[in-house]
This record gives sequence, structure tokens and C-alpha cells, in this order.
Amino acid sequence: MSIVSWCHWLQSTPWATSIRQSDFMFPVIEGSHILALSLSVGLIVLLDLRLLRLVLPSERVSKIMNQVMPWALPGFGIMFVTGLLLFFAQAEKVYTNGYFRVKMLVLILVGINALIYQLKFYPAMAEWDLSESVPRGAQAIAIVSLAFWMIVIACGRLMAYEL
Amino acid sequence: MSLQDLWRMSYDSHTIDILRNSKYAIPVIQSFHLFGITLLLGSMVILNLRLSGIGLRQIPMALLAKQIWRLAIGGLLLAMATGFLVFLPDPARYAANYAFRTKMVALCVAVGFQFLIYRRVIRSGAAESGSPRNIIVACCSLTSWFLVGWAGRAIAFLG
Repeated sequence: MSIVSWCHWLQSTPWATSIRQSDFMFPVIEGSHILALSLSVGLIVLLDLRLLRLVLPSERVSKIMNQVMPWALPGFGIMFVTGLLLFFAQAEKVYTNGYFRVKMLVLILVGINALIYQLKFYPAMAEWDLSESVPRGAQAIAIVSLAFWMIVIACGRLMAYEL
Repeated sequence: MSLQDLWRMSYDSHTIDILRNSKYAIPVIQSFHLFGITLLLGSMVILNLRLSGIGLRQIPMALLAKQIWRLAIGGLLLAMATGFLVFLPDPARYAANYAFRTKMVALCVAVGFQFLIYRRVIRSGAAESGSPRNIIVACCSLTSWFLVGWAGRAIAFLG
């Protein structure tokens, strides 16, 4: 079975159909997906801007990370669950949408970007936590993160025009 | 200038025709509208988590009140400028939309609250602890901004 026909089957299941056709559920799920941007990407922006020393330069990066992540992670959880439900509801059209594919690709790159930070810079954070010079690499990761999240948001907005 | 003049100017203007007729202009502007919203609502989440005392407790409120406030204003200005550009090509459609009207009223309430009450609260020394008063102010702030957001989302569903 091809992926497209699998998507077709998925969106024809009774519960996917009920989400798609509900005047209440669909707007609520879509609205939650968009407004949870504030919890997820909104909080990651703070961390990225701190790495670039544009906000709160007097506070330790590790402290900001510890304070922000417990809220950002549930935010990404909401994004993932609501995004999955939106995908189920319109799987076939979404899967064949070019913006959706770019969005998924860039999301994977964002994940790799964050992983590089965790592996390469997180372990030694104590060494430069408060210093005036955040490592170049960590700053590059922050810039990439900001740029990629903007692409993800834009693709999410653009894809909806073609559904 | 009356609202009718604005309508006429919008529908007669050749410059605004470019916005109206381009396939990508409005979607791209909408994307920037969302960047602004992410920045604004993200900043409000940060400030209110701290103000209510349930999150980010190790970061001094005085610092957040200064620096995150600026981010919030930046996000608000971006969202308002792009929102105006989305509104301009088709003012009659938006003026007739109840969700849009609700959004504008909620926006005025949120901005008024933000500048008249909220700013003072987060800049006072009493903002460092999560007192009942601070929790109420944080709830009012978040509710007003998310009401603007939800009303904005509802515009599309009410046609």
C-alpha cells in the first residue's frame, strides 16, 4: 500500500472524519496548535536570544535553560499531539502538500541542531555559562534555531492556504 | 478621515491592489504576523509564569520586567503592523466579521491593561513574590492576550 493510499485510509477512519467535519473540534485543535507556539517556540526564542547575549546576559545560560525547559517541553508536547490530530484529519492533502514536506524536513534539522547542542556544548556549559564570550558554535546553533523555527512557522501558515 | 473613506481608499488604491492580487503577499505577511504573536505571547507566558510565582523563580523579576517587556512590545508592534496589512486589502470583510470585532475590542482591553496596570505591577518590588494579587494580575494578562489570539483564529472560521 502506498503512503498516499494509507493517508487516504487514515483520514477516512471514523474518528479522523469526525475531527475534520466537526465545527467545534477542528477549530479548537487548530487554535491550540497555533497558540501553543507561545509555550514551545516562544520559550526557545528566549534561550536562543540568551545564547546570543541579546537578553538577560547577566544570568547563567544553564539557569535559564533549567527554568525554561520544564515549560517548553510540555509546549512541544501540545504541538506534537495537536499537529498529529490535524494531520490525521486531512492526511492525504497534507501529505502531498509541498510546504508540509519542507516543514517536516526543517523540523528534523531543528532536532539535529538541538542534539548537536546537547552533545557538544551542554556538557561543558559551566565553563562559559556567565562569561562574555559564548562559544561561536553555540551562537551559530542559536541563530540556526531562530531561523529554522521561523521557516517552520511560515511553512505551517503557508500550507494551510492550500488545504 | 471616516471609516468609509478608509474603505474607499483601500478599494481604490493601486498599491493595495498589489497586496490583494498577489498570491503570496498575504500568506507571507500572515507568517510574519505569527512570528509577532509567538514573540508577544511567548514573552507574556515568561512574564506571567514569573509574576505568578509558578515558574522561572530563579530569574529576578526586575530583569525580566525590563528585558522581556521589550521583546513583548517588539512582538506586539510586528503583529500590529502585519495585521494592519492583512486588514487593508479587504476592510469590509473584516469589519463585518464578529470574531474580528471581538479581537479588536479584546486587543484594546489587553493593551490598556498592559500599559496602565501590568507594567506598574511587574516593575514594583512586590512583583518578586507570587502573592495572590500577582496571581490575579497574571491571570488577567494571560486571559486577555489569549482571548485576542483565539478571536484572531476564529476570524477564519467565521468567514
